[in-house]
Amino acid sequence: MIRIENLHKSFGDLEVIKGIDLHVRPGEVVCIIGPSGSGKSTVLRCINRLEQPTSGRIIVDGHDVTDPKTNMNLVRAEATMVFQQFNLFPHMTVLHNVTLGPVKVRGMDSAQAEKLGLELLAKVGLAEKAHNYPEQLSGGQKQRVAIARALALQPKVILFDEPTSALDPELVGEVLEVMKQLAREGMTMVVVTHEMGFAKEVADRVIFIDGGRIQEEGAPETFFANPQNPRLRDFLGKVIAH
Amino acid sequence: MAFQFEPSVVLETFPMLLRGLKYTVAITIGGLAVGFVLGAIAGLMKISRNGFFRNLAGIYIETIRGTPMLVQAMFLYYGVPMASGVRIPPLVAGIIVIAVNSGAYIAEIVRGAIQSINPGQMEAGRSIGLTRTQTMRYIIWPQAFRRMIPPLGNQFIISLKDTSLLMVIGVGELLRTGQEIVAVNFRAFEVYLAVGVVYLVMTLGIARALRALERHLRVVPGK
Repeated sequence: MIRIENLHKSFGDLEVIKGIDLHVRPGEVVCIIGPSGSGKSTVLRCINRLEQPTSGRIIVDGHDVTDPKTNMNLVRAEATMVFQQFNLFPHMTVLHNVTLGPVKVRGMDSAQAEKLGLELLAKVGLAEKAHNYPEQLSGGQKQRVAIARALALQPKVILFDEPTSALDPELVGEVLEVMKQLAREGMTMVVVTHEMGFAKEVADRVIFIDGGRIQEEGAPETFFANPQNPRLRDFLGKVIAH
Repeated sequence: MAFQFEPSVVLETFPMLLRGLKYTVAITIGGLAVGFVLGAIAGLMKISRNGFFRNLAGIYIETIRGTPMLVQAMFLYYGVPMASGVRIPPLVAGIIVIAVNSGAYIAEIVRGAIQSINPGQMEAGRSIGLTRTQTMRYIIWPQAFRRMIPPLGNQFIISLKDTSLLMVIGVGELLRTGQEIVAVNFRAFEVYLAVGVVYLVMTLGIARALRALERHLRVVPGK
């Protein structure tokens, strides 16, 4: 589904990604953890080319993202993103937020898109908020709308960029619950997260990135129970102590 | 002879000013309509990824902002026909001057409003597969437009008042009409007072209309 080969990314003189290889299979849930500034969000943002990779190759659903000729609009609809700050469209109703992609990108007629939108809002538990505006929702509700907006494109993979990091602690659970349900239904997901519990429970594979490189990866059972890399041990020690 | 204020002259002056008012309103509306389109185009060019467009818009904005409108009007009306050999009717010249002049300021209003929108909005639009243009049209512009309204209101008021400068190129607008009335009745105090009142009524009207528009465009009523 996603194949990343020798990815490098620099911002000016600062090299944040120093050669990353990653392969995500269809239906797989991959969680990426690591300290702030380790480059984990940058990897995610290179996958749908919100950031232009400096070198290396990224293939998403058969499309070479690193080829400037690739039509990224189609790839982005197949590998859509859920943001830390939700980034809902504040001037549109919740339902309109969800239907915009299907109508403008997928060419769906608006009646069909509304039906789909209402189904998806029901799925994330927000059917009754369809005609509200984003500013009338809590953070957790906003993020669930953002997930519904992503699902509405019927994407092949969803990229989650720290989806619960901007939420009040009591609102984190409702968002993780929706993500767990997606994982059970077989959605391919790449999740940059600080939620170790979620990674442990849902991930097929956990990746630890530090200093712009993958330091360790593995199935969650061994990854958390028996970390090999000293940096990972140190990181897990700090995170779990909290 | 001591000065004697004659309120009745003020009242008598209003109907006579109507002739000039027509021109003032026509030039303001025509000039600002074209000026908004010019400003929107120049503002978008100013933030374009294309350096040529950016420079072109920059030259336009700096040239117009950096020269007095009175000079622009006289250059267009008296200067340009000497080179082109074609005289421009005063009304048309007036509309062009207001359009080109307000366009430069509106360009900066448009640019500022668009740049004030959180970059996450563009990223979210692109992430659901919208093109840059679609994202601009459906996501960025509607939000930016709301933020443009207060500074646009300022510009509309300034442009309305600036139409009075067009008397120097012989446009029979409000102030010039007042001047013509004074030439006959010598009641400068009353006539220019009346002229001022008419401008004030119009500028207050614009401010009100834009406040109403702003309320109307508020996403969630009452907030």
